[in-house]
Amino acid sequence: MARIPMAELSRYLLSGQLCRHGCLRAQTLLRPIATSSARYMTTQTENKSTAPPAPTLDNQPVPLRKQLKEQARALKSTGKKKKKNTDNQTVPGWELTVGIEIHAQLNTARKLFSSAATSFNDTPNSHVALFDVAMPGSQPVFQPETLIPAVRAALALDCDIQRVSRFDRKHYFHWDQPSGYQITQYYEPFARDGKVMLHSRDGIAAEDGDSITVGIKQVQMEQDTAKTTAQPGEVQWLDFNRVGVPLIEIITLPVIHHPATAAAFVRKVQMLLSSVDACVSGMETGGLRADVNVSVRRTDDSDTATLGTRTEIKNLSSFKAVEDAIIAERDRQIAVLESGGVVEGETRGWSLGSTETRRLRGKEGEVDYRYMPDPDLGPVVIGHDLVSHLADSITGVLPDVEVEDLMKRYGLSSKDALALMLLDDGGRVQYFYNVLAALEARLGDDNTTSTSDRQHALLVANWCLHELGKLTDLSSDLQMTAEGQCRVPSAELADILFHLHQRQITSKVAKELLWRSYRGDLGPNGVTRTIESEGLWFEELPDREYAELADAAVQGEEKVLAEFLRFKEGKSKAYPQGKLMFLVGRMMRSGPEQRMDPASAERVLRARIDEVYIPALESKL
Amino acid sequence: MSARSTLTELHLRHAIPTRHQVVGAATQRRYLNQFICKAPQSSIPQDVSPSSSPATLPRFRLAVKDNIATASSDLPTTCASRFLPSYKSPFEATIVTQLRARGATVVGKTNLDEFGMGSHSVHSAFGAVVNETDGNGQGDGPRLSAGGSSGGSAMAVAAGEADVALGTDTGGSVRLPAAYTGVVGFKPSYGMLSRHGVVPYANSLDTVGLLAPSAAAISDLVIGRRSNSKSSLWAEHDPKDPTSLLPAARERCAQHRRGYHEDRAEDWPSTLQGLTFGIPLEYNIEELDPCIRDAWAAAAALVRHELNARIVPVSLPSTRHALSAYYVIAPAEASSNLAKYDGVRYGRRANDDTSDSDAADGVLYAASRGQGFGEEVRRRILLGSYTLSSEAMDNYFIQAQRVRRLVRRDFDRVFALSNPLAPEEDRSFDLSDLPDHVVLEDKFGPSEVDFLLCPTAPTLPPRLEDVFQQKSPVDAYMNDVFTVPASLAGLPAISIPIEVSATSGNVSQQPSNNVAGMQLIGQYWDDARLLAVADRMAKLFSDEHH
Repeated sequence: MARIPMAELSRYLLSGQLCRHGCLRAQTLLRPIATSSARYMTTQTENKSTAPPAPTLDNQPVPLRKQLKEQARALKSTGKKKKKNTDNQTVPGWELTVGIEIHAQLNTARKLFSSAATSFNDTPNSHVALFDVAMPGSQPVFQPETLIPAVRAALALDCDIQRVSRFDRKHYFHWDQPSGYQITQYYEPFARDGKVMLHSRDGIAAEDGDSITVGIKQVQMEQDTAKTTAQPGEVQWLDFNRVGVPLIEIITLPVIHHPATAAAFVRKVQMLLSSVDACVSGMETGGLRADVNVSVRRTDDSDTATLGTRTEIKNLSSFKAVEDAIIAERDRQIAVLESGGVVEGETRGWSLGSTETRRLRGKEGEVDYRYMPDPDLGPVVIGHDLVSHLADSITGVLPDVEVEDLMKRYGLSSKDALALMLLDDGGRVQYFYNVLAALEARLGDDNTTSTSDRQHALLVANWCLHELGKLTDLSSDLQMTAEGQCRVPSAELADILFHLHQRQITSKVAKELLWRSYRGDLGPNGVTRTIESEGLWFEELPDREYAELADAAVQGEEKVLAEFLRFKEGKSKAYPQGKLMFLVGRMMRSGPEQRMDPASAERVLRARIDEVYIPALESKL
Repeated sequence: MSARSTLTELHLRHAIPTRHQVVGAATQRRYLNQFICKAPQSSIPQDVSPSSSPATLPRFRLAVKDNIATASSDLPTTCASRFLPSYKSPFEATIVTQLRARGATVVGKTNLDEFGMGSHSVHSAFGAVVNETDGNGQGDGPRLSAGGSSGGSAMAVAAGEADVALGTDTGGSVRLPAAYTGVVGFKPSYGMLSRHGVVPYANSLDTVGLLAPSAAAISDLVIGRRSNSKSSLWAEHDPKDPTSLLPAARERCAQHRRGYHEDRAEDWPSTLQGLTFGIPLEYNIEELDPCIRDAWAAAAALVRHELNARIVPVSLPSTRHALSAYYVIAPAEASSNLAKYDGVRYGRRANDDTSDSDAADGVLYAASRGQGFGEEVRRRILLGSYTLSSEAMDNYFIQAQRVRRLVRRDFDRVFALSNPLAPEEDRSFDLSDLPDHVVLEDKFGPSEVDFLLCPTAPTLPPRLEDVFQQKSPVDAYMNDVFTVPASLAGLPAISIPIEVSATSGNVSQQPSNNVAGMQLIGQYWDDARLLAVADRMAKLFSDEHH
């Protein structure tokens, strides 16, 4: 299945203006998205230069490398989470309830209310319209094309698109917010009543069974804020390129009861948004951020309608952080309640690698946002024709369909299929398709029948996931593009895998070639000529020589051979495969390894045992 | 750009602009203080008085209220606020560009109540505007209120220093000064003239208004001299203003109105005969000055005789709530609009060298906002912040919006023309919904009218000293009682001068200025007819007196 919509829609929406890679936005990773005490009030870090700046709690810088490693680790362990964390998912006697708010940057060419371009690493303050910096007398002009990714996102989340929606002002002061308010959709959002199906393969908690549906309360459009970059000497630099860039906020119902399921939900939403090309980048690059609302109550109370007092944990920037923060906050609340205390409704923060959430501000510190309909902006009317057109355009690209397809057509495990889909914001699976297509083209030239089995597809999947993953700790080092190209050109990997599949090279040689391709050392020679010129072809021993090695390996191992006889006589149930491999190992060690294939060695050895040594033993008896 | 550093302070070094150098005693007869900043004489052509030659573009002098952006380096846009003492806008307001294309030369920026908030043009960082009459021809007349907030623009026209002046009318800010200074002040239908470049006070109510000695001068610009509507302001949509009506909507509205496509020279005057004027009973309030009430009656009689008009009483039952609703909605929007003045990007930044001013409460902008805004602006920001707060929202802001809808329905019910912007289901009225005291004309309901005729203000202009001595700042809000309803409903309205009889009032308390404003209100987009009728009536009033 081709993932054409990515590229196609990019052209359609962006006329090629959007830079999709190299856009790590380190400073933004922990930026509070909507609000926090620090956002509206503090300049504490800015004055009284003698004292070290008081840490503004939710702005603590975490090194990017550490952050990414953390995420890569979380990603790798996703498949195991279910088993590993089973004991983490519930606390006997207590019920956890979680609601999630996700903020995602929309994939658009222009800002929400000005015709300034959206951008990533351009010169700071080079894409700023008068309205973006709230020049007196400037007015917002809604850019209708921002609706395209927004509506696609809402459709992917199975929402009802509202015919009429409106914009409201949410007031709070912060220097990254020039007008003193953020324009959002508070009273009448553009999409409501959605749902996301989570399957066990998505990594939900075992307690949630095979699948669970998470209801979406609403999806709203809103403005992003300016980017703050801390400078030495207590100076903050502001880049207004980002101010006014369109976001969507996705708000779930409080229906999630297990931490792993919450993390799975965020992961799934990222995948959904990416698959319909609604979103510029994922959590790894700061394009997606989550806030979670957590409450607990005793299971005896769970048939009453009231939930416990909830706290909000702001600005979680990885899937692991979502799960860990929820576990920590749940445990904290239970501890408070069990010691006879009361949970305060408050806003809390979380930093990576920590074991507890920390208080940012309590109810008394809450800002009253004084929501007011924006008097300059008329209602947004979304026609049914637009909705049905966009609904048609996303048919067949939703990830569940694609995961099924990868599993059915290529025989991938659900875990591998999901991992392919998720890595590099969807670039990895595209890379998989590219390598597969190139490999099949070569196989088709040489041997028309070999594509009928799925071995070659599994080989490609294995290398795209695992061997590629071994090249570097940071998947970003691969420089994967949305079109599915990276530092290892898909054609070179396809060549390597072609020779490996044809048993023309050993897998050790194949791995070495991959590493050189990654470093760019193959040069203009390409894979085949490098093998040729360096004599790396696999010239296998003839069976005769394997037999000689087998004979040598068996020498003096009568006890071992007896095991095979016991099996043949039915005295033991299982074939002594372990013993066989032990003998294969001896063969490999004694022979010329670069010319040997363990599979061949095994085949020949087994034949020698069956045909020569067992009859010999039998005749001895 | 640094949030902390110098960008915002660059402007501050200019401190107060060079008004005193530019506005000398020679050009300003007395210290009327109507200009904050005047364009250099060299930039104003000498022959800018209205040209009678039809061959050339008529040139005229334009005064611009200082909350409307001008891009000229000589003319900052201060909004009469200490926050923006020398703020130079990087762009020009659409309305200024449009008028310059029609022959206007900007002669200066006029004084106002800070950000347009006030009714007497006294809440200005540059001092109060003075409406000084000649008294007995010796220049020692009493110093009166010029009305607000466009008091400077009105005085510039009254003093003959501008042929046309731009003002902004949010709740009467053009009409009230026009009434107090004896000029014509016009507030167009909401959405007709572009607000792009107008520093907003309350966006849903703000309109750009024009002041001139005659309604004809305004009509020439807004409606056009001939039926060549292509060059008329009313037909020009501004894509930069999201509340500017789209061209198709303008045309649709105009199709159901007269005066936009006719050639006024020919069949136009006859249509002004035999119109129906409504006298809103609820406007005959206790506080109405007897001399104003007499002038109102005289105006009605004159119109009946000279224009063969029908005069009928009408009821606008929601009127008594309109003022309260206005003073909830307008401050709410103002508190939001003024949030951008934090001293971070432009405008005055409190001196934070010591860190004490800002650090005291840990808030970056508090000191700046405390120092930058005047008392009345601070009052309205606090008021608006309260009415929008989650605990008060339902009781104030939401209720006020309901009142606003009722006010519009009141107007829609009395006007013969329907409101093209009202939702379909709102266009018919059930008689059973009417208040009991509404007089029915026949079995179909109360009479329907073409225009409403009422005073612009309940009193003559008060003395400035009395304004300063008002016990409650809310007393000044009373002056807006007749102008606010049309603003809430987005309707066109105009104030034209009428002489009041000196004998009818309590002379000892009245200043010698004996001119008042009579207001006409029309249905939405009926601006063309409104201006034509106003012009005709203004001439009648003036002929009658002489």
